[in-house]
Amino acid sequence: MILDAITMVLTLGGLAFFAAGTLGLLRFPDTHSRLHALTKADNLGLGLIVLGLALQAGTPGNAIKLVLIWALAMIAAGTTAQLIARSALVSNLRKDDGDRTR
Amino acid sequence: MRALPVSPFLLKRIVLFFIVWLAMAGVSVGDVIAGLVVATLAAWLSFALVPPGDARLNMVQLAAMAPGFLWRSLLGGLDVARRAIDPRMPISPHWIAVPTSLPDGGLRATLGSEFSLMPGTLVAGSYRNVLLVHCLDTNPGARDQVVAEEARLRRALGLRRAAPAHE
Repeated sequence: MILDAITMVLTLGGLAFFAAGTLGLLRFPDTHSRLHALTKADNLGLGLIVLGLALQAGTPGNAIKLVLIWALAMIAAGTTAQLIARSALVSNLRKDDGDRTR
Repeated sequence: MRALPVSPFLLKRIVLFFIVWLAMAGVSVGDVIAGLVVATLAAWLSFALVPPGDARLNMVQLAAMAPGFLWRSLLGGLDVARRAIDPRMPISPHWIAVPTSLPDGGLRATLGSEFSLMPGTLVAGSYRNVLLVHCLDTNPGARDQVVAEEARLRRALGLRRAAPAHE
């Protein structure tokens, strides 16, 4: 009963962070600022949801699987965020160059 | 007959993959046998893709980093969520350049991945020995934060303190 309540609080908190991340994606002015919102807020959102669900996992094996999902998603988010950040920076510089020579 | 080329690093990776396999599949006899085969193949493949470098992962140091990392990524999520929700949207994005002494490649990428989850910072690659860090808001501590995290990562990887990078 108490576990169920904790699960509800954690997963609702997780959803709130996903919503905040999406809000940042829509409101922030440029690619790099948007990446801040997506990686950080969504990672925290997924972490809270995973914690909440792990309480309902039943067996330790299931809980470990959930945490593994979080860990892999975190690695994927960190890697893709850098790739997007890098290519956005390069294309910004190219655009600046184009503006200057025009 | 040639001796099998089993290095301690390969063994370490086999053990690591095997533990992950057991966590996912379970511990019945069939799972264990399949796990040994898969873990060996995975370790062999990972050796082909990512050969062991200078870094020797120190699991204890790495585990010691975890609580601080989780705490700061919690702060990172809270911080950016607050800025996204606030109607005034208090952000002032800008770039800073931070010299690094980490070798180019996987280690810098690891540090960069960490920073994409820390409050206020995002790494967009490096130019020569300088990390290009995007900051979401004016934060005088950002530079020190990058330097401190790099030192922590360096310890966890068992890297000797390198000479400071030239700017």
